[in-house]
Amino acid sequence: MIDESTQHFFQPQLLYIAFKGESKPDARDERKLLKRHVKFVNERVTEVNLNERIVKTANGSYSYDFVVIATGIVTNTAAISGLGDVNSTFGDYHTNFGQAKRLWNSLNKFAGGTIAIGQSYPLCKCPPSPLEGAFLTEEFIRKKGLKEKTRIIFFTPYPRAYPAEGINEIVAPMLKSRGIEVMTFFDVDRIDSSSNTIYSIEGDSIKYDLPIIVPPCTGITSIKYTPDSILDRDHLIIVDKYTSKVKGFDDAFAIGDAAALPTSKAGVGAHLEAKVVAKILSGEDAKFNGRTNCPFDTGYGKGTFVIGSYDEPVVKYPVTRMNLFMKHMMEKIYWGSLKGTYDFIFDMYFNMTSPEKLKKKYGTGTVQEPQQKQ
Amino acid sequence: MAEGNRKLVDSRGSACPGPITDLAIAYRNSVVGDEIELWATDPGVKADVQAWAAKTGNIIESITDQGDKIVVLIKIVKR
Repeated sequence: MIDESTQHFFQPQLLYIAFKGESKPDARDERKLLKRHVKFVNERVTEVNLNERIVKTANGSYSYDFVVIATGIVTNTAAISGLGDVNSTFGDYHTNFGQAKRLWNSLNKFAGGTIAIGQSYPLCKCPPSPLEGAFLTEEFIRKKGLKEKTRIIFFTPYPRAYPAEGINEIVAPMLKSRGIEVMTFFDVDRIDSSSNTIYSIEGDSIKYDLPIIVPPCTGITSIKYTPDSILDRDHLIIVDKYTSKVKGFDDAFAIGDAAALPTSKAGVGAHLEAKVVAKILSGEDAKFNGRTNCPFDTGYGKGTFVIGSYDEPVVKYPVTRMNLFMKHMMEKIYWGSLKGTYDFIFDMYFNMTSPEKLKKKYGTGTVQEPQQKQ
Repeated sequence: MAEGNRKLVDSRGSACPGPITDLAIAYRNSVVGDEIELWATDPGVKADVQAWAAKTGNIIESITDQGDKIVVLIKIVKR
């Protein structure tokens, strides 16, 4: 395993640093997370040549029989004019601990006005996270006694607050009842920090006092790939959606956020894709079905999960205290789960909560004319 | 995937968040005069692209249900 960092960070914690003020970063030494027989190489990868089966680093090169690429994605504020300035001032909860801490400080300094929170670009880590931020912002503002002095606007490039209809039908009434305004089809074009205004490609604008903007994401651009035809426009690696095999190669795989898969960029995807790749490498037939299981904190101690697959639309899964409890349980057992210790529990859970089964009980939402603007 | 100024966006089998994500990215990277051919299997795409076109001022030239996929042809006239 080659990684330029020796630290593995629990990225979902950024939400709770930014909106709940958690202060101790949840990170571990990667070398202690690996099984004993896995050799850890602490070097920066500079090139992956799939034709010659070589991974090059800043210090040398490694030939391989099989390669699994799991480089993730990073935030890219440079993709939107003005976003770098805004986010370096106010912080964000998708980049790193420092940025999340900065956002917590910005929230605590806020004394009233308009909070504009949303997703600036259609591709982001964890589709529920923009709305989680909106719900936790509202909870924070209400508890601080600023509700009457604050307008919260949630903006999104999608036709409705949550892109998948099943979950949208759950969250739309909650947004309304909590007084969070929704601006749909708002795909951020540029931000003018001199006038505190966010402009959309669609021609709308929002004036803000506190901007909380989920930045665009991109694949890792510092690694040269040969052939470069395996990369899409966002530098994600084009793979078979069932096997995670890199386009045109039987000996190369890409999993997790780094892969251009038509499913959520979330830890559960990486976990399930890794299991499929492991089975294929050991000679078994295995396919990833696109299963999502994204935990979704809706504030005030409750939550839901975004559950769907390639073949099944997202389930209209209810908001309960138990669901949020399960989200926090996952955070507790995350580190132990990396070695597969709890796979038997996960297998049981995924079977019990398959979208095929859940849709019979909860439904998947009604396809209807989307809202233009609330 | 591109053919002249027609861009094929294959969003078949797209799970959460769905084909509208792919359309929004394609629109962001398009210029006036482009055509976007969107393939999807999610039936919700029909209502979504109509609302999207109404909002952005672009033209839906056709929506065709081909059995194994829904094909939406969009002309970019406003960007």
